[in-house]
Amino acid sequence: MTSTIRQMTTKGTPYFFLLPGLVILGALLSVPLYKVVEYSLYDNVIVERNPTYVGLANYQTLLTDPGYWSAGLNTLLFTVGSVLGHMVVGIGLALLVNADIAPRARTFFRSMLVLPWIFTAVVVALNWQLLLNPFGLINYILQWMGLTTEPLDWLGDPNLAMWSLLLISTWRGYPFIMVSFLSGLQTVPRELYEAAEIDGAGFWSKFWHVTLPQLKPVIYGVALLDLIWTFQLFPLVWLSTGGGPGRATEVLSTLTFRLAFVDFQFSQAATVAVSILIISAAFTLLYLRNEARRL
Amino acid sequence: MSRIEIRNLVKMYGAHQALHGIDISIQPGEFCVLVGPSGCGKSTTLRMVAGLETISGGEVSIGDRVVNGLRPKERGIAMVFQNYALYPSKTVYNNMAFSLQLSRMPKPEIERRVREVAEILELTPLLDRKPGALSGGQRQRVAMGRAIVRDPKVFLFDEPLSNLDAKLRGQMRAEIKRLHQRLENTIIYVTHDQVEAMTLADRIVIMRDGRIEQQGTPDEIFHDPDTVFVAGFMGSPPMNLVDCMVTPDGLKLGDSEITCATPNGLRAGERVICGIRPDDIRPASDMTADMTADTAHSAPITVPINLIEQLGTEKLVHFSAGDHEMIGKTGGRVTMAEGAPHPMSFDMKHAYFFDPKSEKRIR
Ligand SMILES: Nc1ncnc2c1ncn2[C@@H]1O[C@H](COP(=O)(O)OP(=O)(O)OP(=O)(O)O)[C@@H](O)[C@H]1O
Ligand SMILES: [Mg+2]
Repeated sequence: MTSTIRQMTTKGTPYFFLLPGLVILGALLSVPLYKVVEYSLYDNVIVERNPTYVGLANYQTLLTDPGYWSAGLNTLLFTVGSVLGHMVVGIGLALLVNADIAPRARTFFRSMLVLPWIFTAVVVALNWQLLLNPFGLINYILQWMGLTTEPLDWLGDPNLAMWSLLLISTWRGYPFIMVSFLSGLQTVPRELYEAAEIDGAGFWSKFWHVTLPQLKPVIYGVALLDLIWTFQLFPLVWLSTGGGPGRATEVLSTLTFRLAFVDFQFSQAATVAVSILIISAAFTLLYLRNEARRL
Repeated sequence: MSRIEIRNLVKMYGAHQALHGIDISIQPGEFCVLVGPSGCGKSTTLRMVAGLETISGGEVSIGDRVVNGLRPKERGIAMVFQNYALYPSKTVYNNMAFSLQLSRMPKPEIERRVREVAEILELTPLLDRKPGALSGGQRQRVAMGRAIVRDPKVFLFDEPLSNLDAKLRGQMRAEIKRLHQRLENTIIYVTHDQVEAMTLADRIVIMRDGRIEQQGTPDEIFHDPDTVFVAGFMGSPPMNLVDCMVTPDGLKLGDSEITCATPNGLRAGERVICGIRPDDIRPASDMTADMTADTAHSAPITVPINLIEQLGTEKLVHFSAGDHEMIGKTGGRVTMAEGAPHPMSFDMKHAYFFDPKSEKRIR
């Protein structure tokens, strides 16, 4: 009897020490979550003292709003484009810096290529704004090479803005993928490449038949994780284009921010936020299932 | 079937010299085994023949071509790796077919070849499995199948059996021997298992510290070793190698004297290393039945018996002679007491003599 109690107390002790942290974290997570969902069911929250309960009316308005749908489409474009960009650039660079070159050069390139990851979004956005400016370096180089005659307003032209944003997002996000793949590449046994070489495989055959199959679990997990992050990415988009020009690069996260803090339509903002939450949760479930299967 | 010529092969890893000029000449269809202690350069040599390692000096030719600058796939070789190196995402069929697919062979021909080889290796029921769902022995056979379908002129094996348990190793050893008789390819086979070397090889090459210590047929290596190293390397339990003094009538071993013929060049008072296999040292009491014209047993010397090891068909007799621990043999049914002195008889006709300084054989 006493031994079971003692056992329980010894087993319980670590959880007891975890308790404050868990309570704070839980409260910080669940209270806002609950509030946002609640707001989305009322009209005129925050700005009025006694908001009226409207049920799902906010959702109805949202689903019939073309602005919401266009932001949704942009989010889709931005997310898929960014993840693809991250993947292609990340894998390519991972292969390059995994190559058998002088160890010092390898370390140098590996550290240099991780740099985009460590700058804050503000710095990244500002930098690219300067680079992509009509009088910026990129236009200067393009003109010098004779590729364009007129300077292009990369971030200001509605037809170019999304592409420019994807460029910025790719540059900003590839290092995580690169680092993940690099560690994945290092687990591929060298003997497999040697066997493939003896079997007559060239660079691409080795990539298709040895590297990719070995990386498949990593690719799937990392792509989902990236999808979840990029889907709700806010600072980089807001600071680079602010969703503009017009609504050309408006994504769901910037729409939420605009509705809440520019238009003060907190109920509508909460409704958009809940829609983001639902989609993110779906991706997260997929991701967790994948991780569980790998374990 | 191609002859392989390795001439003055040198390998540098940075400043570290792994191979110091290796010369091996392998006849078409010959089964050549490289043996030696860990780190002596066996794998390095093999991988340079395969083209997986650059050649720092010297020349490798396969058939009539110098292959130094050729890529592995241009050398007409196939290799079986120690850890099999099967493609984990491919089925057994595709593992075996991969090289043929890469060479754009027509599908029906690939199918025919893979099925034929699978039949030989009894892999037919496993063709749709992935390597992860195979036992060690089955993986080993797939790895061999992958090499065989390409019908290479030369097979290279790097310790292909070292991951198998003893029984399976014995089976696969016999299987490799059978395959070689059937396919008649030239084979270079790396192992550190001397039983594999003895049973499989037409030619054994013993390496040590990046040099060839001796090469020859298994008989030559076992019965006619050139150096102390080779004498001690082949045979289990190993040959007794003891430091003795030459006397007018034979050798002084510890306190006892053994009467025997010694090589002509040796004079009384000189030191010599005497090598004698455990099989050639027997208790004097055994001697009646076992004597043949081929033996010349010395008068027995009485030595303390330290330990008897029962192996079944025979027993190992550990005894001391002076400062030396030595091993003899007797039949599995003979009873001998541990800890008591016992007369042991040495078959000096099959003893070897080595120079203690150069460790070379004195004939
Ligand atoms: N990539 C490498 N870089 C530097 N030194 C190496 C490299 N590969 C092998 N060596 C060295 O070359 C020597 C020979 O190695 P090798 O692998 O040929 O030995 P081995 O005879 O196959 O040994 P084992 O029986 O353990 O496989 C060793 O001293 C080893 O340390
Ligand atoms: Mg080796």
